Amino acid sequence: MILSLAWSDILGINARNQKYLRTPKRALRILDSKLLTKKILKENNLPVLETISVIKTQRELFNFNWEILPTAFALKPNRGLGGEGIIVVYGKKKETAEPTWIKAIGVLVTKREIESHVLDILDGNFSMFSLPDVAFFEERAKIIKELKPYSFKGIPDIRVIIYQGIPVMAMLRLPTKESGGRANLHSGGIGVGIDLATGLTTNAIYHQKLIDYYPGTRYFLRGIKTPYFKKILNLAIQIQKILKVSFLGVDIVVDREKGPVVLELNARPGLQIQMANLAGLKGRMERVRGLKLKSEERGVRLAQDLFGGVEEEETEEIFGKKVLGIVEEVEISLPPSESHYKTLAKIDTGAWRTSISLDVAKKIGIENFENGRRVKSSFGEETRPLAPLIFFLKGEKIESEVTLADRSFMKYEMIIGRRDLKNFIVDPSKTKNF
Amino acid sequence: MSFLVQQIINFGVSEGTLALILMVPVVATFIAFSRQIIGIRGLGIYITLIIAYAFVATKLKYGLVIFLVVVITGSLVRLLLKKARLLYLPKMAIILTSVAFSIFLMFLLGSFLSIEGLQIISIFPILIMILMAERFVAVQIERGQKMAIFLTLETVVLAIISYYIINWSWLGQILLKYPLQSFLILFLFNFLLGKWTGLRLTEYFRFKELMEYLEVSKK
Repeated sequence: MILSLAWSDILGINARNQKYLRTPKRALRILDSKLLTKKILKENNLPVLETISVIKTQRELFNFNWEILPTAFALKPNRGLGGEGIIVVYGKKKETAEPTWIKAIGVLVTKREIESHVLDILDGNFSMFSLPDVAFFEERAKIIKELKPYSFKGIPDIRVIIYQGIPVMAMLRLPTKESGGRANLHSGGIGVGIDLATGLTTNAIYHQKLIDYYPGTRYFLRGIKTPYFKKILNLAIQIQKILKVSFLGVDIVVDREKGPVVLELNARPGLQIQMANLAGLKGRMERVRGLKLKSEERGVRLAQDLFGGVEEEETEEIFGKKVLGIVEEVEISLPPSESHYKTLAKIDTGAWRTSISLDVAKKIGIENFENGRRVKSSFGEETRPLAPLIFFLKGEKIESEVTLADRSFMKYEMIIGRRDLKNFIVDPSKTKNF
Repeated sequence: MSFLVQQIINFGVSEGTLALILMVPVVATFIAFSRQIIGIRGLGIYITLIIAYAFVATKLKYGLVIFLVVVITGSLVRLLLKKARLLYLPKMAIILTSVAFSIFLMFLLGSFLSIEGLQIISIFPILIMILMAERFVAVQIERGQKMAIFLTLETVVLAIISYYIINWSWLGQILLKYPLQSFLILFLFNFLLGKWTGLRLTEYFRFKELMEYLEVSKK
């Protein structure tokens, strides 16, 4: 087992620290401070979450005007590690003697408790080497509705690992009841691998185990479309360009109004992402090592071509259905002879029945149409002749009943409707040259 | 015995002390090896090494008892003080005070029950353990309770193994016989260890499922 070649694709901590973490001191100083990171990204016109207020000393805390806090915010330590020390509130309780907020897990938190937490942060309880730290309040991103079913009282984020300017792996991180609104995997979040070409999710891990459904629900975790995925990859590339760090983890949230916003940067991204993608980081990084890029778009394209090449097979594997483009080749069988008539058909999910043109009907010798079946078409209700027909699509035999239409002015001789598409998935972006 | 070692012993340094010094690189190498090759993190090389030597000085049995007393007292007092909101150093001073007090009680109990061997423990190993309380409490604050317990357990296991390495008289004799060679070998070994980029043993387990998948898809 240990001697297998596949192991050399997997990135371990030793190799990460010794080979790939060549982060210059200047960049580390920026990355280890959330506020400094935000400042620099903002100067470069990249979207970040707004800082509401920064608290540097106990005095500033005691003079703090609590009225300026919105109903939803996040309290963070500037130099916190791995999401430790972050409090997220999403609502303010009305008419209480002491200002009280509702935490992402539904627990109440009073002003005094928040004060106490700020003191903990200032003391350096969550910072590296226990050094004194700075606390800040930050606006809370608003969850995009597409991802709402997949997160418990928190906001999912997208982690992109980028190496030498090319995104090599990505993962959607979902908060759970257990993770208390945070999306960090070691506090109980779910990691879902993302196919770089399509932005569709692949495998999911929860406590280092592969799962199919969001815990406690029937929400399938595969095949979720990551919103703004291309833009997210582009953003990650831009960030790396600015910071000049060779190996970087970029965390991005998708805000309902602002779209993709940078949440955090990570100089030492975790390695669990490999499990969620069922792919090795080292193998991928070695493939992009030393490639020169002319533009950010090129970086995105390269990543998609290199690490998303198997998306079609994967989708088929996930759904157990074949993927069709808008135009596909079909073979109509011509009983009683063994021969077939080949033509191109348009896949039309707007139509119920498959229809063929009069020309084709003549060519394949169908004459005995059962007349007078009422058929609903986009032109309203009309009467069209129907005929039984057997054809092959992507190797699947389909026994159909097709309508006959005068399609002489149309580009394709055949239209395949929903009735015959039950075993397929249609990807409109998929094109083939016929 | 090497003539260099003989020279030092003639000067008046005891053979035992010299062997303990020559053991430092061996134990340090062992701890580095456990982290890089096996994947046992522990609380770092310094804490593990110094606890191992404290165990040597107190005998393992008493060492473990003192260790437990220190860790439990330190954690309990930290939890009690959490609500009080004290500044870091005074808080630590209180924790160290309580740890010292519990060691005091331990000796008192030992005297009533007349436990043999407890009274001859010297001040330095005990002082080391008391000061360790600060590190354990700091780790608890930084990494959370669960992680701190786990890392502390790993450290104790490493320290116990190190204890047996230090007390391994055959190895001690070898080191006294070839001191320069052992320095050189360990130096080279650690240099290679520092360049090692392979997976850690624990990672083979962590990524087992991933690897099985990769293997199937490569075929």
